[in-house]
Amino acid sequence: MLNYDFDWAIITSGRYFEWLMAGVYTTVQLSVVSIVLAFLLGLIIAVMRMSHVSPIRWFAYAYLEFTRNTPLLVQIFFWYFGSYQVLPRFINEWLVTWNFEFAAAVIALTIYTSAFIAEDIRSGVRSIPREQMEAARSSGFTFLRAMQYIILPQAVRITIPPLINQFLNLTKNSSLAMTIGVAELTYQARQVESYTFKGYEAFTAATIVYLGMSLVIAALVNIYNRKVLATVKGR
Amino acid sequence: MIRFEGVHKWFHNLHVLNDINLHVRQGEVVVVCGPSGSGKSTLIRTINQLEPIDKGKLIVDGMDLSDRRTDITKLRAEIGFVFQQFNLYPHLRVLNNITLAPIKIRKLARKEAEEQAMALLERVGLAEKRDAYPAQLSGGQQQRVAIARALAMKPKIMLFDEPTSALDPEMIGEVLAVMQDLAQSGMTMVVVTHEMGFASEVSDRIVFIDEGIILEEAEPSEFFKAPKHERAKQFLKQVLSPMH
Repeated sequence: MLNYDFDWAIITSGRYFEWLMAGVYTTVQLSVVSIVLAFLLGLIIAVMRMSHVSPIRWFAYAYLEFTRNTPLLVQIFFWYFGSYQVLPRFINEWLVTWNFEFAAAVIALTIYTSAFIAEDIRSGVRSIPREQMEAARSSGFTFLRAMQYIILPQAVRITIPPLINQFLNLTKNSSLAMTIGVAELTYQARQVESYTFKGYEAFTAATIVYLGMSLVIAALVNIYNRKVLATVKGR
Repeated sequence: MIRFEGVHKWFHNLHVLNDINLHVRQGEVVVVCGPSGSGKSTLIRTINQLEPIDKGKLIVDGMDLSDRRTDITKLRAEIGFVFQQFNLYPHLRVLNNITLAPIKIRKLARKEAEEQAMALLERVGLAEKRDAYPAQLSGGQQQRVAIARALAMKPKIMLFDEPTSALDPEMIGEVLAVMQDLAQSGMTMVVVTHEMGFASEVSDRIVFIDEGIILEEAEPSEFFKAPKHERAKQFLKQVLSPMH
């Protein structure tokens, strides 16, 4: 016999419910801010990776290898504990007044995710026929302008499904931010558990929320593939 | 307008352009023909440096392409290029395909660019397709849009690289008609094509190239009546009556 009293009420109402919801809010905030920044950074890195100037290309290559091949947790610790020693004092002071844990988590998640996004965008660009670049260059666009107006808009449309998957990964990865004290969903579930000893309920709730977010995101990919991609493809 | 002086180009060991000397004057229509793999596409692609040359001198609109300091991007804006595979931008509607470069490069106001684009679409007979995406058009229609796109930059030279080779036979005429209209308006044109009807009626000169060498350069009447070179004779026989 199970010798455990399930108490779902404890997490569906009252103080602990509020904690969990605050955690959900922080997780969403952390993920959305990071994915936007990671996308922009990923675009830049992808273009650098395809540059005709070798030092720029090598820098991007090194960045990609370095970021993708080190554990995210180490990167989070690096930015949280390590950056104090590296960053100038005034930046540290400014970050502390803001919310240093959150900032460090955003920086780490952004950099980590940007590497994967850059590679997704790059393979998107490679799937665009070479002739598109030729057509753009023939009209008098520079390499960067051709990328901006002709190649990347097409590549990004193709890349959106893998990008959404990166967002999914990022949302799940954001749970690691609890290790530096960001009060996101996992952190709050842990808090609820410490106060109530209702670990089963608390982490079931967290699991359901993560799963729910994933399913919603996956559904968006499906809709995008059916509705949007079908119309822009068919070259 | 365009002057080749002893131009050479190699792809690895393959000598694709061998001592090309050619002069295209303003307002002239020159047709380049030759068997496949003869270097005719490479020849036309060197004019806007889609293919850089290895040796010799190439002067286009007063700019020296063999000089590294020449601003190629600026020169390309003055040269329209029409591709075999059209290469329209699939993510943009027809109208935006045409207005993109004038707005971004010529800094035209959107309204002005759109009026100009509509005038060009009228000219190629596709005004009603302004809001279509390229994938919704037939090959012939796409190619006419591609010509309109090139003309929107008000180019001094128009280059055509086998503009009808990818088209179904019933669509070739509509594209050639647009090109003929353009030639009569005084545009400087270099056209790589197998359409010998177009060559004989529209062009001022025909250049026959094989294995990277210009074997013959003549007025169309001369070229069709009495080609001098044996290879040219064979080529003409094949393109004029491919069954035999």
